[in-house]
Formats: sequence, C-alpha cells, structure tokens
Amino acid sequence: MKSGKFEPNIVAFTCNWCSYGSADLAGISRIQHPPNAKVIRLMCSGRVDPVMVIESFKNGADGVMVTGCHIGDCHYSTGNYRTKVRFSALQKAMKVMGLHPDRLKLLWASASEGQQWAEGIIEMTSRIREIGPNPINGGGLVK
Amino acid sequence: MSGEEEPKVGVFICHCGHNIGGTVDVESVAQNAAHYPNVVYSTDFMFMCSDAGQALIREKIEEKGLNRVVVASCSPRMHEPTFRRVVEEAGVNRYCFEQVNLREHVSWCHAREPKKATVKADDLVRMSTARASLLVPLEIKTVSIEPHALVLGGGVAGLRATVDIGSRGFNVTLVEKEANFGGYLRNLSVMYPNNENADDVIGRLVKEAESLEKVKMLTNSEIIDFEGHIGNFEAKIKNSKTGKTTKHNFGTVIVTTGFEPFEPEGYYCYGENPNIITLAEFEKIRKKGPLLRISDGKPPKNLLFIGCVGSREEDVKGHQHCSRYCCTAMTKAAADIQDECDEVILLYDDIRTFGRGHEEIHRMARTKHVVFSKFGEKKPKVIVKDDEIIVKWRDDLSCANMTYKPDMLVLTTGMVPPKTSEAVGKLFGLTRSGDGFYNEEHIKLAPLTTHTAGVMIAGAAQSAKDTTDSTTQASGAAVKAVSLMVRKTVEIESTVSVVDEALCSSCHTCVTACPYGAIAMGTTTDPPVAFVTEAKCHGCGTCAAGCPSGAIIMHHSTDEQIMTMLEALLQLSTLQGSEG
Repeated sequence: MKSGKFEPNIVAFTCNWCSYGSADLAGISRIQHPPNAKVIRLMCSGRVDPVMVIESFKNGADGVMVTGCHIGDCHYSTGNYRTKVRFSALQKAMKVMGLHPDRLKLLWASASEGQQWAEGIIEMTSRIREIGPNPINGGGLVK
Repeated sequence: MSGEEEPKVGVFICHCGHNIGGTVDVESVAQNAAHYPNVVYSTDFMFMCSDAGQALIREKIEEKGLNRVVVASCSPRMHEPTFRRVVEEAGVNRYCFEQVNLREHVSWCHAREPKKATVKADDLVRMSTARASLLVPLEIKTVSIEPHALVLGGGVAGLRATVDIGSRGFNVTLVEKEANFGGYLRNLSVMYPNNENADDVIGRLVKEAESLEKVKMLTNSEIIDFEGHIGNFEAKIKNSKTGKTTKHNFGTVIVTTGFEPFEPEGYYCYGENPNIITLAEFEKIRKKGPLLRISDGKPPKNLLFIGCVGSREEDVKGHQHCSRYCCTAMTKAAADIQDECDEVILLYDDIRTFGRGHEEIHRMARTKHVVFSKFGEKKPKVIVKDDEIIVKWRDDLSCANMTYKPDMLVLTTGMVPPKTSEAVGKLFGLTRSGDGFYNEEHIKLAPLTTHTAGVMIAGAAQSAKDTTDSTTQASGAAVKAVSLMVRKTVEIESTVSVVDEALCSSCHTCVTACPYGAIAMGTTTDPPVAFVTEAKCHGCGTCAAGCPSGAIIMHHSTDEQIMTMLEALLQLSTLQGSEG
C-alpha cells in the first residue's frame, strides 16, 4: 500500500447458503479477523468460473479463496463437486502462472461454522503476508 | 423500466444505530460513494430498515429517478427481502436492488480496527455500486399448477397423504407396486403403543380413501417415466399385470416408498439354524398364529432377543443410523411373548424407548420380568452346534460372562431403504443420504420438500421412523401439496440461466453439470444446441461456470456482474486505512 506496509488484498468467493452464512456467523459471534478478505457472494461455489480466479490474479489480487458448503451438503446437491474438480485444475494452473500455490485456498464452511471462517481468513491473511505481494500487475494494486 | 436505460444508482448507508456507525465512518463512506460511476445519490441514515428508512428509499427513487438501489447495512440473508419489497413498491424491479453487508462482514468482526474497517466498507460499497450499474430487471414468472397429486407408495404414509389430499377436494392418484395397499404394515400383527391391529389401521385408511370421489388407487403399478417441473409433471404408469402403460399429468408429487427390514446375513449365524429369525419374521409368524419353532413345530420355552442388529455400526456404510422404532417394537414383542414362555431375555446395546407411550411398554416388559442385559461395546457371540443355539456375551452391568441356550433367537434389525430407492430417486431427482434414504430440502426448515420443486417426501422413505411419525409427515406433505394446488400458480426463480444459441458449441458440458437435469439438448437445430427448462432451474450457475464457450447467461449473476465486482475490488480505496 501507499504507506509501504504490505496489506494483502484477498478475494473470497462464497456461496449464498453455507460459507456466506459462516462469514455472517463469524460477525454475529464477534470473532475478530483481519479485514483483508472481501466477499463476492454467488449462489453456489459451483458458479466460480476458473476464469474469474485467473482474472483476480491478473488484476492483482494477492490471494483468492473459493468457499462453499461441505461436500455432501451443497444446497444445489452436487454443485460443489464441480467446484472441487475445477479447484484442482486451478491449483495446477497456479504453477503455470508462476504464482505461489498458497495464494489460492479452498474452504468448506457450513453456516454454523463461524469459527472456521474466521480461522480461514486469519490463516490466509498471515500466509499471504509471508509470501508477499502478487508479482503480477505491480504487486497487488491496479491503481 | 427497461434494462437499456442509463443506470441511476442510489446508495443508502445504514448506521444500524451504533452497530455499524460505532466502527465504520459511515458518513465518509457515503460521501465517497457519491463519486462512484453512475451514482446519482448517496446518503447515510440511522436505520435503513425502519419505516423512516424505507420511506427515504421510496422518496429518493421518485425524486432522483433512481433505477438501481444499493443499501449498505446488515446481511442480505436478513433484510434482502425487505428492501426488495421496498424498491418494488416504488416501481423498481426487485433484481435492481443490491445489498452490501457492513455489519456482519465489517463492523462486528473488525471492531478493533475502525480505520481499516472503514476502508473495507468503502471497498465493498464500490464493488456493489459497480455491480448495481450492470443489474437488469428480470421478469417475475409464474407457472400454473395442475390440480392433481401423485402419491407414490401405498403404505401407511401414502394412504394418509392420499386421504388428506382427497378429502380437501383435490384429485389424487395413489400408485402401489404390490397387489395390496398397506406396505410393511401388512406384515405386522398388533402395533405399539396402543395394541391396535395393523390390518385395522390399514383397513380404515383404505376404506376412507376409497370413499373419496377424487381418489384414484392403482395397485400392481409402477412409474416408469417421470418428466416435467413443478406444477406440470408427466408420469408414465405401467401396470405390471396387464403390461399396459398410461400417461398422466400431475401438479405435485409425494414420494412415500418406505423401507425394507434389514436381512442380517452374516450376523449372529442368521440362516444357519431355522430357529434364528428376525423380528420381522417373528411378527409375520405371530400374525398367523402362535409362535412355534420352525425346526420342530413345538412352542419355544425360552427366547432370546438381540437388539441393534446391523444398526448403529459406525464403520459400516448404510448401517450407521438408529432405526428409531426397533427398541420399542422388540421390547413389546418380548413383553407379549413372555406371557407364553418360561423365560425371555433381551440383549441390548442401548434401549431407546423415547416416543409417546413407549416408555410404558419398556416398563411393562420389566414388570413382566423380561430379563434385560446390556452387552455394550463387545457384541454377543452366537454359536450353532448341532440343533442348539448357544449365545455368549458379557453383561456390561455385572461384568459377568454369560451363556444361554435359547429355543429361538430373534434378531432385531432396523430399516434400510428399499432396493428400488436408487432408481426411484433418479426418476424424481431426489438425492440420498449416506444411508440411502431420500434427502429433504432442509433438515429443520424444510423437512418435507425436496430439492426438486413440487416433489415432497414422507414416511420411512425420508429416514427410519415408526407409523406415528410416518403419518404425521404424510399429513404435512399433503398440506404442502394442497397449498401449492390451492394457489393454482407458483412463482418460479427469475434468476435462471439461458443459453445463447449462437455461442453454444453443443459440447453437453452444461447438461452433465446441472444438478437438476434442467438443461437438455434441443432437437430442432443441427448441430443441437442446449436449452434450459426455466421451471426446473434453481439458479446455482454451475452450468455458466462450466460452459467453455461462454454461451450461458446466468441471470442476476452474469460474468460481467461478477467481473465488475472483481475489478472494483482491486482498485485502491481513496480512503486512508492506516491505523497509525
């Protein structure tokens, strides 16, 4: 950032039913976690087109989280199976893009798992702090 | 309002009293938002959800000609329906509303970092105003409901549902694959907790159903094909006796296909001695007459029951569950047969007689001196030697090793889904739990509906349960079906996907990706292009994410609407966030 201190900018895709609910619950339970992740709410994690993840990195996101219901609990019965498959493909793509694999994280969290959500954000933020800014597009910020 | 007109976005930032305003600098966020593209009005207000807040939105829509509204307040899971209604009252389509979560996702969880929280709030508002500019109004669609229900499975649950729907004056067709109605209850003699004859229970329901004008009851019949969507299903019903197939239209469906008693092959020498029987077989014998040994036709002097056979086994797939009826059924069987025998012993892991009137049965069995012995973790061992059955176990409470030679051994097995459950599930688009029973839409909030809109489940088809619970569910499912048919029409999702035919490359990816079978390949073009049956689509967007040609437009969650949020997020906030 302008001040010189690196603040990771993290995109967190959530589904409407489980992981968005877990993020809500983290707030309701006042579980404090870093403000670095910003949520993009979709109906299902199955909506996450791998292109969206790649575009996030291209535009300078330091980390991307794909989050959704636990396997077997998908509101749309099998949407998150697709997420899982696409995520594995994305993990391989990270190497090709020359990005650290830890910049991409998959998190399953049910609407009752506020703690898991907060821990996921804490872990991801501190890991990205270690790895440093996204080497693509000037290290994190477009402007 | 058309989607083509220039977006005029209004932004309303909520203090939520001290909830948001105590952490986030709400005024600065509102002032900053006024400079974002297409924003023509931006303000902050103490409680947006209050009457005054709602009035403010309506007033500004009119005054400023707003056609897109962003409210930054609490979780959309809480107030999205409220604000959608508010904008609709002022003539703005509900899908032109966008909510930002500044409370659960910002102020409540970043309470100690107010400056950073303010920057995040600004980021989120910037993302949502960008998205709002690209939102388009969607038509609110309805489909008609055929006033005819299909009930599949003529057991006690199916009969109850049929009578309930029929007596409310709606057409209902009950389809049973066997020659008689009654399902599993036809095998039972007297039932707990009130010693009622199972045949009487079934007889009463069948008689009642037959007396209703609008009820059609088919035996020896199976559904061989099922298509359509809520309100407009088409089923092919085949009569297995005549081989004739007929087509019927239904508006709603209730699946009550019940269960099968588990056949405990490989457990406790079942099958090695004819006097080792299951509780289901015990009931069948008792229904016909007195209990006699299978081997020699003599009345048994003593009996031993073993509970939880093939149930509650942590590591065995399909056998992890408790069947919720067997403890009471076994205890009652033991108490009843005690009157005719010298000694009855009941080996159990746990006794769960939890229903109304069940504990009384448990107490009665103990009063009659049925011997209860807990075997705990280590299961009993059964040895068949010549004609003798030898049971060895360790009594958990006295810590003593026991041996007993019963004249007959009764294995109490639980409920498992019928062998047809997978095929029936596929036909109706029902998912199944780990133990093979059908999944409800939501275990607490929607236990009777399924992920296929218009299809309900009840009875043991949903999970192991007794007659009381089955009929309770059946009545509930019947109300669900009736309430749909009463309304005559139902609103369907507007947030569905559509295929851009010009871009479709006929790859079938979306057809396999859709969890609801809502996408199929058309037949009118060559090569065929995919099309979406809107009433079947639930709007998850899995197809759009998978389409390699970008041919699928997911309404209200288009690629552009998502990408614009990403771009907005990755711009630097003009608010300064350092806590220093």
